[in-house]
Amino acid sequence: MSRPFPYTYISCPCADTPVPDPAKKRRSRESPQKSPQKQPPERANPDQDKKLSTKEEQQGEDEDEEQTFDPRSPRSNFSLYPPEQLLYCEECHQIKCPRCITEEIVSWYCPSCLFETPSSMVRSDGNRCGRNCFNCPVCTAPLAVSTIENAAGNGPQQGPWVLSCGYCLWTTLDIGIKFDKPTNIRSQLQKMTDSTPPAALNRSRQASRTFGDLKHPLSSYASIDEQSNARERDGEQAAPKEDLAAPPMGTDARFAALKAFYRTQIAETSNSPNDHLSSEFGFSSPGALNRLMSLYTSSSRLSGLYGGSKKPKSKPPVMREALTASEGLKIAPENNETDMIARLQSPECGWDGMASIDQRGTQSPDARFVDDLLPLPVLLRTKRAKRCKSCKHILVKPESKPQSTRFRIRLIALSYIPLPTLRPLAPSPSSTLPAMAATSDLNSLPPLRPIHVLLTLRNHMFDPVRITLATPPVTPGRVATKVTVLSPQFEIGANSDVWDEALQGASAPVTSDSRSAALRGVPEAGKVWDKGRNWTTVVLEVVPGTLPGSSAEGGDGNPNTEINDEDVLAVAASRQDEDVLEIPVFVHMDWDADAQLDQQNVGKGSKPDDKVTRELAYWMVLGVGRIQPSL
Amino acid sequence: MPPPKAAKGEYIETDTGNKISRRSQIHGTQHIILGGKTVIQAEAVIRGDLFRTTTLPTDANTASAPAAPNPSTPSVAITVGRYSYISKSAILRPPSRLHRGIHSFYPLKIGDHVFVGEGAVVEAASLGNHVHVGKGAAVGSMAIIKDYAYVLDGAVVPPGMVVPSWCIVGGRPARIVGEVGEGYGVEGAEGGMARERYRVVGRP
Repeated sequence: MSRPFPYTYISCPCADTPVPDPAKKRRSRESPQKSPQKQPPERANPDQDKKLSTKEEQQGEDEDEEQTFDPRSPRSNFSLYPPEQLLYCEECHQIKCPRCITEEIVSWYCPSCLFETPSSMVRSDGNRCGRNCFNCPVCTAPLAVSTIENAAGNGPQQGPWVLSCGYCLWTTLDIGIKFDKPTNIRSQLQKMTDSTPPAALNRSRQASRTFGDLKHPLSSYASIDEQSNARERDGEQAAPKEDLAAPPMGTDARFAALKAFYRTQIAETSNSPNDHLSSEFGFSSPGALNRLMSLYTSSSRLSGLYGGSKKPKSKPPVMREALTASEGLKIAPENNETDMIARLQSPECGWDGMASIDQRGTQSPDARFVDDLLPLPVLLRTKRAKRCKSCKHILVKPESKPQSTRFRIRLIALSYIPLPTLRPLAPSPSSTLPAMAATSDLNSLPPLRPIHVLLTLRNHMFDPVRITLATPPVTPGRVATKVTVLSPQFEIGANSDVWDEALQGASAPVTSDSRSAALRGVPEAGKVWDKGRNWTTVVLEVVPGTLPGSSAEGGDGNPNTEINDEDVLAVAASRQDEDVLEIPVFVHMDWDADAQLDQQNVGKGSKPDDKVTRELAYWMVLGVGRIQPSL
Repeated sequence: MPPPKAAKGEYIETDTGNKISRRSQIHGTQHIILGGKTVIQAEAVIRGDLFRTTTLPTDANTASAPAAPNPSTPSVAITVGRYSYISKSAILRPPSRLHRGIHSFYPLKIGDHVFVGEGAVVEAASLGNHVHVGKGAAVGSMAIIKDYAYVLDGAVVPPGMVVPSWCIVGGRPARIVGEVGEGYGVEGAEGGMARERYRVVGRP
């Protein structure tokens, strides 16, 4: 989501300090237990790492002292965030970006019906809504349940129901599916498409499968005219080809059968009764993995590593593979490929009849044609709590109800750092402010012509804040734009009660801003442009540089960029968005906060009346506009 | 009263602070409720005439022949909350649905601090508070956009879609493509500019 000019981004300081990697810590902590023989090298590594990282840190700090933030460097892409996305940790006293937090799931909900799904149900439902919410398999728009009969006009009798897409007008009738009831469609659909509902793994496949033939694996390979006249015949035709005994299974059912089969295989072939994998852990448990690894590897080193048991394995019992269809075996049909190619070539199918890659990605692997696409139950979404990665302090905790927009805890950066807003100072006072006119102007700033930009910082804290702004005199990069902050040091009032101001006297109402600005005249160095209860506006004088290779270049006197046109073109192509004028601004703020619970305050001199001076510094980037290529 | 105001400028300011452009097209004003401090810009079209008729007509062509058979019963077609902003040439239309073979309109509810972008077409059943509908977006019939949702420019929200809170939707058809930050909607920040927008309108 790129923003229109003017925008402000704030750089999270985490880009400079390497984030403590929890994975690394865990590895170094756990590895000695697992493989004692590997301890010395493993232990050496973290030390080295630490040395390296501290060295890097020192270097980084040294560089940081000298270097200014470059919004164009590839690294800064990862540290710049719009102010409203940043959080603030009260323990670390630092801005936290999405990279320096961890998330925990508070609740799961369906984005369509906004019902919460209990976490115990999430897995069995396959992370999808178990109610009536479906997405169109063709275009992903939500499907609506509607009746067929009523569309004809009258009758209190509710007809069969279908799912229909309001966007691409696809309905389940296109794949020949109707529903008897308008409720619980997912289980109805599952019954139709699978011979066994996957929720009940061990139930025999006696469930009603009225429409099971539809999703016969061969149904897609039969020619299309056959399908259109007689769908039921399809099943009869296909049955003798494959397996006479068992009816064909859907993908889910086959997966369940295979899973059950392999589980019994493991149970049978495990020779030691107290083997920790057998039944108490599932097939996917790490214990089972260990055992499989030791089964398949003869190397004693590896088995020692994974299994931990030193005794040499006697001949491991052989596991067999699935042999019958009831065990989940599926034999590729004889004329699979040729039938499919024939169907692809048939005029009835054509390009429109084939499922696209995107559509197939969410469907069963057998789905090749549009006819094979099934409605997709809506994927669940989550509400997540956020914690600081370094101190585990909780930063955001939403209420678990999906409908609620409230938070139990919400420590956003905006309540601590001043909110920056940028606005061009119109040259003529008559045309102040209508944002539309200003933005079109900002997309083509004439080079070498000074403009004034108003930067407003709005304080959301209950303490007044002292601010120091600093910019490099010339923006980094090849387009050298001169920037001057006319009053780099100023103070912002506290975010006191609105009533305080009103009672103090409404001599300076906030709303008189633009008119008074018009009267104010010329911006002066060392003077704050405007000031309100909890905000202060300062002026930045910006002289946009010339783009390399532009016609205005001659006047600027950039002799080293005198290169031939081809080079210029190549360079221009390689550096996209070079004409975007972004100003890095270093913000240093300090304020006197109440020293309450933090006795280990950040090493600042404490004041007598229980106040601590606290400071915070960060870079922000002001996106002013785009520089015109020529004058 | 009207003549001095007409001389004043483009916007009519009502007692509750609504700023309505003289060049907007508002139909069926008696069926529209504006919460106050609402801005309606030029060339915006608001179809208050498409309201649900209590005596259901027999045929389904109410859309083509909107009429008020019994104006004594005031039925609300469009509700707009405070500090909402309807940009230039946006269209607000109450949603409609074919129910039991009868085509009927349903009220369109728009919450507070809502922004409807330029040229957007909104036919939703409801837009929550702090909703942003981008430029040129279309919100389909009976869609429900919850609080703090963000519809990107040019998105087409399909009919009947529900967009949960804090979600960003975009594309054609619209899908959920992300979430806005926790600070979205804070006064003065992204999503909280409604008062500022209102304040600026109609200033010389």
